Amino acid sequence: MSTVPQTPRAKTVFNPSTPTTSRITNSQVQSSPHYSTTRRHSLYGVEDRIIIDPGSLIWKVGFSGEGRPREVFYAGGKPAKGLWGLKRATDAAERLEEDKLLDIRLEQNLRAVFHDSLLTDPKARKVIIIENPLLPIHIKEALARILFGNLQVPSVSFASSHLLSLLAVGRITGLVLDCGNLESVVLPIFAARPLFTQLRTTPQAGQRFISHLRSLLLLFGTYVAPTSPGIANLPQASRSMRVPQEILTNEVLEEIKTRCCFVGDSLAPSASEPADNGPTPDDSVVSSDIDVPPASDPAQSESEFSFAGRESGMSSQHDSSEYSVISTPRMEGRPQDRPPGNENRLQVLADMYMRHSTATDLRLRVEPPASMANNSTLGYGTIIIPGWIRERTAEVLFEGGDVDEGSLAEIILDALLKVPVDLRKTLASSILIIGGTSMLPGFIPRLYVELLRAISPPQPPFRQPIRPDKSPPPQYDRYATLRPLIPYLTILNNPSPPAPLSDRAKNNGGKAPAFSPATMSWVGGSLAGALKTGGTEVSREKWDEADPEIEDENTWMSETPARNNRQAQQQSRALQIPPARNVLPDWTRLPLPVGAPSVAINSASVGGVSQTHLPTTQARVGA
Amino acid sequence: MAPNVLYHCPCLSTSSAPPPPHLASSSYNFHPLHALFFCEECDAVRCNRCVSVEVSGYYCPNCLFEVPSASVRAEKNRCARNCFMCPNCRNTLSVVPSDPPDAGDGRLSAPISTVGEPPFFLYCNHCRWDSSEVGITFEKPTGLAAQLQKLEDAAPDSLEFDRLKEHFEPIIRASSLSSSSSVAPSTSHSQHHSNPITAAASAALARDIPGVAKYTPHARSGRPSGKDRSANKDEMPEYKSRLDISHASNYGSGGGDVDVDFMRRLEDVSEVASLQQRWNYSWSTSIETRDLKPLRIPLHSKRSKRCPACTHILIKPEPKAQSVRYKIKLVAANYLPAINVALPHQIEMLGHISAEAAKRSTKAPVDGDKDARSGLQAGKTYPFHMSLTNPLYDPIQVRLSVQRMHVAAATSSGEGGTTEKARRPPFAISIPTTPFSVAPFAEAWEYEDDEEMFGLDDDELEARLSGREKETKSKSKTVGVLEKRANVTVVGGEVALGKEARGEVKFNMLVAYTYRSDDPAPSEGHDASPSKKAVPETKTFAFYTVVDLGNIISKEEPRIDPYDV
Repeated sequence: MSTVPQTPRAKTVFNPSTPTTSRITNSQVQSSPHYSTTRRHSLYGVEDRIIIDPGSLIWKVGFSGEGRPREVFYAGGKPAKGLWGLKRATDAAERLEEDKLLDIRLEQNLRAVFHDSLLTDPKARKVIIIENPLLPIHIKEALARILFGNLQVPSVSFASSHLLSLLAVGRITGLVLDCGNLESVVLPIFAARPLFTQLRTTPQAGQRFISHLRSLLLLFGTYVAPTSPGIANLPQASRSMRVPQEILTNEVLEEIKTRCCFVGDSLAPSASEPADNGPTPDDSVVSSDIDVPPASDPAQSESEFSFAGRESGMSSQHDSSEYSVISTPRMEGRPQDRPPGNENRLQVLADMYMRHSTATDLRLRVEPPASMANNSTLGYGTIIIPGWIRERTAEVLFEGGDVDEGSLAEIILDALLKVPVDLRKTLASSILIIGGTSMLPGFIPRLYVELLRAISPPQPPFRQPIRPDKSPPPQYDRYATLRPLIPYLTILNNPSPPAPLSDRAKNNGGKAPAFSPATMSWVGGSLAGALKTGGTEVSREKWDEADPEIEDENTWMSETPARNNRQAQQQSRALQIPPARNVLPDWTRLPLPVGAPSVAINSASVGGVSQTHLPTTQARVGA
Repeated sequence: MAPNVLYHCPCLSTSSAPPPPHLASSSYNFHPLHALFFCEECDAVRCNRCVSVEVSGYYCPNCLFEVPSASVRAEKNRCARNCFMCPNCRNTLSVVPSDPPDAGDGRLSAPISTVGEPPFFLYCNHCRWDSSEVGITFEKPTGLAAQLQKLEDAAPDSLEFDRLKEHFEPIIRASSLSSSSSVAPSTSHSQHHSNPITAAASAALARDIPGVAKYTPHARSGRPSGKDRSANKDEMPEYKSRLDISHASNYGSGGGDVDVDFMRRLEDVSEVASLQQRWNYSWSTSIETRDLKPLRIPLHSKRSKRCPACTHILIKPEPKAQSVRYKIKLVAANYLPAINVALPHQIEMLGHISAEAAKRSTKAPVDGDKDARSGLQAGKTYPFHMSLTNPLYDPIQVRLSVQRMHVAAATSSGEGGTTEKARRPPFAISIPTTPFSVAPFAEAWEYEDDEEMFGLDDDELEARLSGREKETKSKSKTVGVLEKRANVTVVGGEVALGKEARGEVKFNMLVAYTYRSDDPAPSEGHDASPSKKAVPETKTFAFYTVVDLGNIISKEEPRIDPYDV
């Protein structure tokens, strides 16, 4: 049955129920052979909206009603640097400068979208912006300001990327994990309503991957300098060295990530096995951590089941610098002044990974850095990337850090813990993974394995033999309540679904259309545009009404008072005084549910539904 | 980098004065003169960031075919004729016929017909990629894109997309009917602005909120016990994919086991297509390079640009793709004096180096060396020349002034290296402050007195300038008007660098020029013409520029001399 997915009769098996559904089924039966005739795109018309998926790193743009984006590009230009990071400057002047730069770059990109990529008149096109629920409001404002002010588009809608991705797989209910560049966000969505209050997030995403890759390559990669003509050809061995910092630009790392890396099988079964026989890396790490009182490191005890427990020291040390990598190059010179303990830990990690990897080493040609390229070198240098780095860099995504940086599996389960009980089964059986980082081959199957591992009962703590006199406290079993869901845990777009444990899993697992995870939200946006829906629409009139600045837009060149006024406003914006107008939809401004949310969830599903859904609709209306 | 002058467009900043030049964001406020427009109505400079752009014609950059705007949309902004790009190197592909049948005599037989033998395929002259590798061949050598378009329309993503659309359309339709009636409670008229999908869902919810109305023991017992009662809570009919991911991944795409295996055994990076080569595909495609398809060449557009304030056309090209002329062209170069800045010692040095290079036959580039010798060294004083060229038919009176630098503002900068910038201003600029005149522009033959200027291009001019500079330097006159000829006036300035100076020598300069205006000014009261009321027939226009003299070579940082190695 499943081998013939086109057969419309299969539909009726699934939907025997209400008259409405049967009507839908009929319409599908009738029209499905006539795809070409249903492609009623207007040729001259401008009904098709512009769909912009503005990521911090990559933008995807195109027209609604099309199956793929017209153009995809790096937002920050060639150096593959993100437009914004997770952090904003705290200093007012610095922030003003940062915002200015952001404004300029956004404007540059948006103008290029209309004038270079899509070659269309912005004044005639409605725009749908696909937004991550955690897209900062000041970026949203900047986007709207440029679209309305500089480009004069008639209307802008903001639609949640998670919801749109669900549309792209033909659903309106599901648990969506967006593993993007800056952060991974899990958002449960029920009946097209994002349950924003149950959103979970972690910075374990593309940027973290990149910085982990960088530190691994700095330590374990090899760089072969280009040959020089003067001296007789040196053998490769004498030209080899550690990878210099300046070679590992974001661009190169991005290339390594997208062309060389993949996600191998879980370490779990084989990793626990050598733990029994003799000294293992795990033990050595733990023993090196003895001096650290366990209570002071909550991450260690909390994510015991993940590998992070063994090297949480390393990863937390890591984190402190990784934030800065995004904005400032504080990473410079790190391997030198990195404390030896950390290097040890990385070494231990490397040993473990190496044992669990069979991937081939790869050579990547790179341009020698400017400082090392003198006149006497020819051609390209080569980075030798060990196979285990290719396979195991992604481990960082599956390892939790501290409480705020859970692993991907953990945040999915956390979100499941938070949703109303009666929705858990539904949501657990329709998990959807989107986002660029999840394009790594093997990512989604591995995530499924990690989910199972995270939900399984915690292992007895490692530290037990150290203090034999004390009886171990009862294990904190965070996901015990979720364990009945195991047979239902299903990833919709799992390319290699495991043997299903339940009917539901069988119906859902891997049954999503084969859109690539990275473009799924764009495709959903295109679909929403084609269906004349999409998020809350803000028309230009509404924007102009709400915005006193725009009124004097036409005359501000000549009027000094107006200009001063503007300046004052801009300064006030820079100082984080909320701007006077708030026409843009923003779920964070919605009124909090009455009473404690947990009560609402636990008490009855009635409360859960009414209190979490209705404010959402209100937020769409108000704000 | 050669010293240069960029012109300020006030569109980004809120005040007419430009931001301090060393901030990273400031560089976007300044543009080269040739990229600027001038709106006569508003009497203001306009740049490419603020003008509103309209497409006045589409054409293919490869075949220069003008595409009617009606078909642009359907053809996806791509050339629909025979223009393709190589997926590997982005070179233009050419259509080549198959090898002619072997005549048997071992010689290359002359082409039989002008078109050659079918099947035809696309071939890259640069990287030797050819489309038969991915199974794309053509029966006839014309209209290739149309032939490929069929394939594109049958692509799995567009089929799946249409299927999804059909899946959702009835639901949306049903909900838009019911939403107006059923969802009314607390939300007022603004409900209409809310997401129709949300409305759809809430309509469904109003009918049957799971766990509220019908979540009763009765309903529970009504369902077959074997079936999951919570299977389909959102009342959406199940969507059945045309081609689901688990099947697609069997053919080696979508990040499944096949891909992982391929990656694990990968020997050569080039076997995997780069992200840029595959990120356009919304369908999970193969990650291998050998599966890449040829790309249709994106169309370009001819654009006319309008002033954002008064919507007058600033520039309008002729619609023909082959033509490079403009119907309307209000470029700033015709209104503002062109300013060139040069460091005489650099030009001298360049002359030296090129002379040396001519003598030596070594092929080694001398960039580093040149930098070291011609750069600005901290603690020294350098003269610089600015030549102002008048594009107007009237003489102009120019006044230059340097904008004061605010040290306080200099402490902050978005990018790294804040410390060195905090130490500004490390240099002092002196330029002539008295107004001077620049002669009007005239046709070349009208300049009688300066015959030898004919046929000299800019470099030679500058070389001459530096020659003259030597003479003037001997008279120790560096600041002031140095030379006047034709419609060019050269003024000299001086920059004194502090001992600790680092970074770039960049300063904002206000240029105000007064010219005789023939017509009564239509635009009254704009900030550009303050002196207009006093002398009705003359007008003053002022604009800001940023002068970049280059980087300071600090003393503590020794340059690596390549010849020492």
